[in-house]
Formats: sequence, structure tokens, C-alpha cells
Amino acid sequence: MFFKRSHPGESAVVTNRSADHAETGGDETPTVAARPRPLEASELRHVVNPSSLGFSTTDDLSPINGLIGQERALKAIQFGADIKSHDFNMFVLGPPASGKTTAVKAHLGPKAAEGPVPPDWVYVYNFENPNRPKALQLPSGRARQLSKGMIAALDELRGVLPVRFESEDYQTRRRAIDEQFRSGNEEALDALSKKAQAQNIALLRTPTGFAMAPMHEGKVVKPEVFNALPEAMRRDVEHKIAALEKELAAILERLPATEKRRRQQLSELNEEVATSAIREALVELHASFSDVPEAAAYLEAAGQDMVRNVGLFLATGDEENAIVRRPTDSAQDPRFRRYLVNIMASNGGSGATGAPVIEEINPTYGNVVGRVEHLAQMGTLVTDFLLIKPGALHKANGGYLLVDARRLLLSPFAWEALKRAIKARQIRIEQPTEVSGVVSTQTLDPEPIPLDVKLVLFGDRELYYLLAANDPDFPRLFKVQADFDDTIARSSANDNAYARLIASVVKEHGLKPLDASAVARVIDEGARLAEDREKLSIELGRISDIVREADYWSSQAKRKVTSREHVARAIEEQLQRADRLRDRAQETITRGIVLVDTEGAAVGRINGLSVVQLGTFAFGRPSRITARVRVGSGRVTDIEREAKLGGPLHSKGVMILWGFLAGRYALDLPLALAATLVFEQSYGGVDGDSASSAELYALLSALSEVPIKQSLAVTGSVNQQGEVQAIGGVNEKIEGFFDVCRARGLKGEQGVLIPRSNVQHLMLREDVVEAVKDGRFAIYAVKTIDEGIEILTGVKAGERGPAGPFAPGTINRRVEDKLKSFAERGRSVAKSAGDDSEGSTEF
Amino acid sequence: MIAHVAQSGEDRGRVLIQIRSRHPSAIALEAAVHIARAFGSDLESLFVEDAQLFDCAAYGFVREVSLSGRQTRPLSLDTMMRDLHLAAQGTRRQLEALARKAEVPLRCRVVRDEPLRALTIACAELGPWNVVTLGEPFAGGNSLLFKQMLSEVSGTTGIVTVGPRALRVSGPVIVAVEDMAELSDMLRTAERVAAVDGAEVVLLLVGPGEGDLERMEGETRLVVEDRERVRIELAAVAHGADAHMAETLRKLGGGMVICRFGGLVVPDEGDLRPLAAALECPLFLVRPDGPGAPPPPSSSPGRPEVSKSDF
Repeated sequence: MFFKRSHPGESAVVTNRSADHAETGGDETPTVAARPRPLEASELRHVVNPSSLGFSTTDDLSPINGLIGQERALKAIQFGADIKSHDFNMFVLGPPASGKTTAVKAHLGPKAAEGPVPPDWVYVYNFENPNRPKALQLPSGRARQLSKGMIAALDELRGVLPVRFESEDYQTRRRAIDEQFRSGNEEALDALSKKAQAQNIALLRTPTGFAMAPMHEGKVVKPEVFNALPEAMRRDVEHKIAALEKELAAILERLPATEKRRRQQLSELNEEVATSAIREALVELHASFSDVPEAAAYLEAAGQDMVRNVGLFLATGDEENAIVRRPTDSAQDPRFRRYLVNIMASNGGSGATGAPVIEEINPTYGNVVGRVEHLAQMGTLVTDFLLIKPGALHKANGGYLLVDARRLLLSPFAWEALKRAIKARQIRIEQPTEVSGVVSTQTLDPEPIPLDVKLVLFGDRELYYLLAANDPDFPRLFKVQADFDDTIARSSANDNAYARLIASVVKEHGLKPLDASAVARVIDEGARLAEDREKLSIELGRISDIVREADYWSSQAKRKVTSREHVARAIEEQLQRADRLRDRAQETITRGIVLVDTEGAAVGRINGLSVVQLGTFAFGRPSRITARVRVGSGRVTDIEREAKLGGPLHSKGVMILWGFLAGRYALDLPLALAATLVFEQSYGGVDGDSASSAELYALLSALSEVPIKQSLAVTGSVNQQGEVQAIGGVNEKIEGFFDVCRARGLKGEQGVLIPRSNVQHLMLREDVVEAVKDGRFAIYAVKTIDEGIEILTGVKAGERGPAGPFAPGTINRRVEDKLKSFAERGRSVAKSAGDDSEGSTEF
Repeated sequence: MIAHVAQSGEDRGRVLIQIRSRHPSAIALEAAVHIARAFGSDLESLFVEDAQLFDCAAYGFVREVSLSGRQTRPLSLDTMMRDLHLAAQGTRRQLEALARKAEVPLRCRVVRDEPLRALTIACAELGPWNVVTLGEPFAGGNSLLFKQMLSEVSGTTGIVTVGPRALRVSGPVIVAVEDMAELSDMLRTAERVAAVDGAEVVLLLVGPGEGDLERMEGETRLVVEDRERVRIELAAVAHGADAHMAETLRKLGGGMVICRFGGLVVPDEGDLRPLAAALECPLFLVRPDGPGAPPPPSSSPGRPEVSKSDF
């Protein structure tokens, strides 16, 4: 009896145990003299005293603009923003919803505002190579001016050119040219015709040419009449016709050349008329961009092209009838697309100053580097330079680009494209299929645009280290690491800063003020989220959620100030919304479907604790762990691992047990032990080493044949020296067992053993703390396996005496004795087996 | 037909398109179909094989010089017949497609004769109200040809012709009115032609001076009243100002120009080359009435040789 208070059932356990001991060795069992001291209630939760905060409501506080406790990360951001080098890009790493993006924006915003406004970039038609659109750099704010100027010029030319070409002056000159050549041709033919007529030869037009025949009084002479003429006369006519045919052929042969000259003269006339009108339309634009040589050259080329293609501006034939259907805006008229300007980056508009800070929330390949879109026309896909769409790199060029790393990596081709752009320091728009070499259809190949951007990637630590380890380009291009901490140390100053952070959430979302008790409760929850009572979580998203939900419950209660009860309700409701699986797991235990005892004692059986993580919600669940031992060849079998349900960390923990047993009990004899360990009724994977101490306790119980109290549960890992080590999720594990015990009735003997080093992490629920305070539940902090086994069995662990062996009756002595007996039994079995077959024996 | 049809109250007339041995103008064919549709009349295609070509082909020494002047070949009757047959077939197909689309009844025939004689006979057979469309564009020169046609072909009430720069049949119908007595008939005619595609009617009042035009405009407005699709334009033209008149018509950008032959717009003894060079649409010449009108022929010529049965 080592508990001060007597509980029903315990005496029976001790009696049974005594009986067991009598059977196995008959030694006197040395029980623990005094009940081990459980942790005080005050050690289980670090609570903020609202009065210590020094304010009434959050209205009394000045909100914090930015972050608290992130000096290291902010310093890195400052450095990354300041350094002028293309490969010093930033990777901001830290937990989600920790305010990374907000902090970076808040920091880069003022910095960017002081920076120079980057130039504008446009794509224009390349009149020499239409497949390679020309990239023009323009002073900031001038891209729209060029675009609007071109549209205005087109509008003007649409009106002016038809008038010029309809003018009497033009038409007269044109007709003069036409007539000059037509009459020249006609006159030549007329002259020939007259010459032929004078010789009584008729010139006739056949379906495919001309023919000549003897004529009399304007009519072709009938052949029979002609044949009646004298031979000499006939010969004479034939010679005349042959000669005239040659002349006719010569005249007709000259016609194409004449026509060519006519066209040439017409072209010159058209060019003259068009040039003057086009020059007048573009003169202002030329003057505006005389300071930008590339733009001036483009305007010159565009003007020349307009002259060459002046027909585009002149309505002819059916087009004239369609004039009412034609767009009134030149920018929408497909005839003039080649003269429009595609703005890729426009800065300095609407009074904007400074460098851009662009966040790309959907970093696909096209959204990052831009893309060439296509239009379906008559069953085919067509494109032109106006269908080049800018990407985030174009918009952020000269400034900062913020991208979520995970989304970027999940977008095909995007990561590689981004790296290529940074390395080459230019934006080259290619089709993804082109990049991968899958399809090689002809498309546009726009001129690359020089890139000067500071890239800021956001991601978690795992992603950062994965990239650093697996992508050789990554460390070379992202040399600045801004690491956001997830927690801050707890102090009165930081508690106050935390309160101001809450006040900023209230202000940002327009919530009702929180009183000091509510703020204190949020701070308590912050420590709980940090899983450390000496720390506070700075996951702004989670904190903001709690504050906003508390505001909702406060509104429901028609209160003007949010107080502690509303915060508590918000947290409770959050849990309730998420804990369906927890309820189901607990129900299976309370209904006896999953076997977990919370009273009595048993040999080789112990309650272990595990944590189930479901998104942001985690809960603890007790599991029965059992151990069986027998003589064997020295092996501890982890059934979880054998069944491929155990993870590597769990297997490691089990192997450590072997080291502990061998080191403590079998220094000078073979460890002829075969043991099996299993998580009963566990059908999913098991990982982590937090159950290794529980497994060791079960093994020791099985070897010593001393029963373990089933009213206790255990968590903690163990090393080969028998020291119990810290684990994660201690609060959830304790609460998981507490909930099961409470459902069955708290009787005062139930409790949990945790590693001593985990005491600093305790931020238990208020109901657990109350139960401990009332003596209905206990938390034991242990440093060693010996401490733990004594609490679990009520039997002394025992220490080695000066002579070597452990004190008689202690757990360790019993274990050692059992292992010795196994070794002797093993030797005898091996000997008899060797005598029989000279073979090895497997136990 | 047309003015005459409208004047006489007759609903139907005939449109006869004469195609000679060469390739016809597509705009001329369209114009013929357009007018036939406007008046609900039949379309008669007359492909004339010039008889002289066969005489010419019968000579063994005659060679045909190609249009480019680069090739020559001996002419033969077989070759000539084959070429003419192919030309007639091509024209027929072209016309059939247009007529089918416009739902105009079409009748095609081929005759071997002297062109003017063939036309006279065809018109005499068809009756008094014929509009003759000339398939080949007129290159200009003087207006003697039209005068001769109107005087020798008795059944012709008007001639439709196109210039070498003809581009369209659609667009406003321009009616050149020189005599107010003709206004109502000409307007009615124009409205029927314009109704085919809902085009506007432009009444171009043509007079020698501003005073005349003012008077004409006043009278015209009384006639036009509140017609929405009729617009009035004025043109002061003196005799001999052919180029100016041609430019005025071109600027109006019509789909067809209707005018009286022998007036200021198309004088019966003038140079038509400016008009031929400027016009981008068909020109509908209406036979003049009253004094000065060409006399009808005194007797009808003999029946032409028909090389093929009607098709």
C-alpha cells in the first residue's frame, strides 16, 4: 500500500500481486514507502492574471503595426530588400498564417515607394519579322500615351485617307495616268486597226485573242470569194496579214510593261497622297517620342507600313456596304491590329510612385512569365502580338514579386521558368509545350524583356530545406533566408505586446473591444497553441479566428464588450465542431469495444498514449500496450514493425529497449530473451517513440511478473540509460486519458506519467486542472524508468548493492533473476539440442 | 421597259443580256439579274457568235495572236467553234448561278450573226419592252454605238452598260433628272430598283445653272414629299463638262446610275471616256421620249442563223 488513501480494489491487487510473488520466488516485496508526489495544479497551466495586464479593454491599447518577436526575420527582409543583386532573392519561411506576407508587404511597401518608378514596356508589331514582336522600353507612364496616340492617329487616318483618295485632285491625277496608258494602248491598236483597214484587212477579236482577215466594205470576205481572186493578189493579202500580225503581237507584248509602268505611277501617286496624310497624323506622336529613339524608329516604320498598306484605310467593294457593321473604334478594327500597342507593363499611371510590389496568388506558368494566347478562327488557332499577355514578372519588373512557393512548385513548368528568368535576367515568353519540346508548331517568339526584380518566396521550413537539398539552383538564387519563428518567449512585456496584437486584430476587423479577462484567455490559448507554457504562439491566423469567433458569441449575447466567457465559448465551439472523431474514439473505449482499463492491475499490460492529428485539431487517445516474454535467442519483436505498421521512429524506440535491458541486466550473461510488444487494437500506422517508456514498463512488468496499475497511463520516450525523455502533444495525451477516466468516473487513483522535461509544456484544460486540484486526477512527472515503474507498480525499482546484485524483491532484481533463469534454461536447451543434432537451436 | 413600263402601267418586261464572243463583265451580269428581279421580269441571255469569225477561221493562212502577244496559232473552224462553245457555256453557268440566287427565270440561247442584227431580231421577237444589257464593258469613245442601238433596235427601251472600273451593283440608286416631266417616272423606276436591296434613291437634279436647279429642287420636293429613302442632290453642268459630271457621279458612290440618253449626263454626240473611267457601277441609259428621240427602225431585219437550239 503506497497510496495514502485507500481505494476499493487496490487491496485486491496487492493481494494478488503478493500471491504471484509467492509463486515466482517467494521474496519479500519491498513496496514504495510514500506515495509519489503528483504535480500541483499550479504547475499544469500558466494563467495570465487579467489585472496584471494593466488595461480595461483593448480600446485602451494602441494596435501594433507589424509583428512581434520576429526581429531576426525582419532583419533578413531588410537586408534582402536593400542588397542590389539579382541572385539575392528571399525565401521567407515559417508556419502558415504567421503573418509572413503581411509583414513582408508592410516592410517592402515603404521601401518600394521610395524606389525609382520602373520604365514601361510594350510589344509592337515587328514590320521586318512579324513572328518576333518588338519589345519597346518607354519612360514610365508613356506606354499609354503611345497606345492612345496610335489609336488616335488611326482614327484620324480612317477619316482622312478615304477623303484624300476620293478627292477630285487625286481622282483627276489617277484618271490622267489611267487614260495616259489606256489611250496609249488603244491608240496603238486603233492605229493598227486603221492601218489594216486601209489595206482592206479586218482586225477581229476572238474568244482568246485577235485575228486578221481580208475585208471588203467593212465585212470579212468570204473565203470562196477570196479564193477566186488572182494568185498574186491573194499572196499580197497574205503577206500584208502576216506583217500586220507581227505588228499586233509587238503591240500586245508591250502591254504588260505598259501596265507595269501604269501601276508604278499609280503607286507613286498613292504613296505621295498617303504619305502626306500619314505624316500629318503621326507628327504629334513623333514629336512626343523624339526623346525615345526606339519609339521614334517604330513610328517611322509604322508610318512607312501604313503608306505601303494604305488600302487598309480605304473602303472598297463589299467592305463599303459593311461599313455600318464595322467597329467605330480603330482599336477594335481587325484591319489595324498591326498598328496597335500591347502594353506589358505600365508604371507611374494615376499618380503612382515608386517600384511595384506585386503578389501573384496563382503562380501558373502563364501568370508568372506571360503567355501567348490564341483565337479560334475557322477551325484553326491564330495569334498575333496583341495576344501576348503579361505575367507577374512584367508587372513586378523593377520592383518586388511575392509568390507562394508551394503553389509555384505545384504549377507545371512555373518553377523552372521563374529560375530561368532570374538567371538570364530577362523575361522570355515561350509556350510551355515549346519549352518541353513536345510540340513545335510555329508561334510568336517575342523579343525578351530585361528583368530586374527582387523575388520573395513564401513557404514552410520543410519546403525550404527540401529545395535547398534537392535543387542546386535554389541556394544560388535565393541567398536570403527570412525565418519566421512560430512562438515568442512569454514575459510580461510580451504578454502586453500580445494584447496589442489582439487589439490590432480587433481594429482591423472592426470588432467589439475585448476586456482584460478575454485578452488573458486569448493569451492562455496562445500558450496552449505553442504547446509550451513559457511560449506564446504567434500564428496570427489562429488568434484572429478565436478573437472574431468570440466577437460573434459576444454579439449573440448582446454584449458590447467581449469577455473571457465568450473567448472560452469560441474555443469550445471550435473544438466541438472538429471533435466528432474524438467522440467516436472515446465512445469505443467507454463501450468496451477498444479495451482500455482504467482500474485494476495486470502483468505485462500498460496504457500508452498517442495523439491523432486531424488538420489543425489534435486529440489524445489511450491504447493498450502488452508485452509477453519467454526464453529465446535474444530478440525483442516489435509486432507493429513486423506487420509493417510501425514507422522507423517507433522501431528505433523498441531497439533502444533492447539496449537498456542488455546494459542493465545482462552484462555478463547472454540475453536469452524473446519478447513481443504490441499496440493492441491498433489497425493503422504507429510512429514516434513517445510510447517507448510505456513499452519498457510493460516489458519489465512481464519479466518481473509485477502487475501495473491500469488506472495510470504513460507517455515519454526512453534512452538506453533508462532516462525518460520529452515528447510532443503532452497536453492532448493527458486530456485524452482524462476524458476516458472522467467518462467512467474519476476515483482519485487515475493519472498520467509524463517526462519531467515536459512539465514546462503543460497548458492543460481548465477541467483537468480542476480535477487535479480536487485530487480526482494526478499527473506524475518522472525522470527515470525506475521512478516510473515504482509509481506504476508500487514496488521499489531497486538499486545494485555493493556486491553487485539488486536488492531482493525489487523490480530490477526480479527482472535480473528472470533473465538469468532464461539464460540458464537457454544454455541447457542449446546443449541438449547440440547433443542431438549438432545444429543450432532457434528459440 | 422601266420608265416605259412604269409609265404604261405594265408590270412585266424583259431583260436581255447580249454577250458577244468575249468574256463578259461580272458586274454587267449582276446588273442584268438585279434589274430583272426588280421588275419581276424574265432574263434572256443572247450569246452572239460573230459570223465573221467563222469566215475568218476558214482561211488557212490566218493566225490568232494571243492577248499577251507571245503566242500565235493557226485558226480553224473547229478551234473557233470549240472556243465559242466553251465561252458560251462558261457565261451560261455564271448567269444560272446568279439567276438561281435571285429567283429570276432565265432563258439562254446562242445565235450566230452580226451582233447588232442579232439583237434587233431578239428584241423584235420578245416584244416592245426590253432592256438590253451589254455584257462587255464599254471602253469609252463616242456615244455613237448607243445611239445606233437605240435607233436600230426597235424593242429597246433602255441600255445597261458598265465601264472598265465597275465594282458594284449594290448601293444607292442615282437618278439623274434633267427634265421635270420625267421626274415621277424616273423616281418610280429608281424606287423599284432600289427596293431589291433596300437601297437609298438619290435624285440628282442636273441643270445648266443655279436658277434652274433651285426651281427643279422646289418641284422635286413637292413630288418627293416625305419619302425617307430619297435624297436630293444638285449638279450644275454645262454642255461639254463631261469630266465634271463623271466625277460627280463617282463621288455619289451609287450602285446604279439611271439617266436619259442624249442629255447633259450622257450626250448623244460626246466623248464618254471620262464617264467610262469614273463609273464604278452600271449605267442605265433610258431611251429619250418626245422630240429628238431616235426614230424606230422602219423594218425588221431577217431572221438570224441560229447555230444551236435554245437552251
